[in-house]
Amino acid sequence: MSQETLISPEMAAAVGREYEWSTSYPIDPVSIRNWAITMYFPEKPPRMYWDEAYAKTTRWGGLVAPEEFNPFAWMRADPPGNMGPEASRPWPEINLGIPCPEFKANIFAGLVVTHTGVRMRPGDVIKSAVNLAGYHEKQGRLGLMLFTTREDRWTNQKGELVRVSRSDLIRYL
Amino acid sequence: MTETYVPSVYIPATGAVVPKLDPKTVKVGDVVPPLTRPGDYQLWNRYAGVNYEFAGHHMDDSVGHHEGFEAAIGMGPFIHALLHTLLREWVGEEVGRVAKVGMQSRRPWIRGRTLIESGKVTAIRDENGERFISLEVWGDNDKGERLVIGEAEVAVPI
Repeated sequence: MSQETLISPEMAAAVGREYEWSTSYPIDPVSIRNWAITMYFPEKPPRMYWDEAYAKTTRWGGLVAPEEFNPFAWMRADPPGNMGPEASRPWPEINLGIPCPEFKANIFAGLVVTHTGVRMRPGDVIKSAVNLAGYHEKQGRLGLMLFTTREDRWTNQKGELVRVSRSDLIRYL
Repeated sequence: MTETYVPSVYIPATGAVVPKLDPKTVKVGDVVPPLTRPGDYQLWNRYAGVNYEFAGHHMDDSVGHHEGFEAAIGMGPFIHALLHTLLREWVGEEVGRVAKVGMQSRRPWIRGRTLIESGKVTAIRDENGERFISLEVWGDNDKGERLVIGEAEVAVPI
C-alpha cells in the first residue's frame, strides 16, 4: 500500500524554525589550497589560490577561497567537536526535536547559492545559521519522495553576509 | 543485477587553456566553454576529502545498487561546485566572481560516465559597478543525458 504523506503535523509546524548554528575554525590557507586542487583536478589550480605573494597582486589583494569553499568540513569550532552533517545526518528533525519519518535512502536534489561578493579569506571565522524553509512531496520513479528545503546563511567575523544557500534533500521509502 | 566493474583510471592533466569571457563583447546566447570531468573515484574521493563527504553510495558500487542505481553515484554538491569552476575559468578567477549558482538534479552521475558542464548567457545588466551576466547552466553525461539544470550569475567589474 502506498503511503499518503511523510509530513507529520509536527514537521509541518516546524517550518520556518532555525535549528542549527555553527561556527567554523579560522580558515586555513592549506584548506583553500586543497579545495582548489580538488576543483581544478587534473589541472593545476590558478596561482592565486596557492601563492600568497602572487595573490596580493590580484584584484583580491591576497588569498581568497573559491566561492563554493566549505569552511565547516570535518569539524566545527562550535558546537565543540561537532563534525557536521556527516555525523549528525543532514535531515533537520533530529535537531528540531521531532520524530523523523521512516525512509530507505536520501539523495541531494538541488541547491541555490547566492554569493554576496564578500570573499572568504585565511583567518576568517564563518558563522552558519540554518532554518527549515519547507517540505513538499512528489511521486517519482522510486515512489513517494519527501523534499526538505533548508536555508543556510553564512556571515563572517565582521558580521558581513558571505552567502545564502537553499538546498533540497530527497528522502524516499 | 549484474555488477559491472569499472576500473578507476589515470587522469592526466591536459594543460588546456579555457577561452576567457570578454565583458565588453559578451552577448545573450554566448556559450560557456565546457568543463569535462570523468566520473571516477579519483575525483570523488578528492572531493570527499575536502568536503568530508563519505556517504557509502559515493564510495561503493554495491551501496549504489542497494539504493537503486547502476553503480556508485557522484556527489550532487560536487557537481554544483564544478559549475563554479566552469564559470570561474570562463570569467577569469583574478578578474570576475561567481555571484549565484542554482542547480536541480535530474539524473545521478553514475560512476564510469563523464560529466560535461556548460552554460549559455541569458541576460546582461550593470549594477553597482559590476556587469552581471546571467546564464542557464547544465551538466550532461557522455551519453547525452541531462543530469542537472540550473541558473547562474557571474559578475565582472565595469
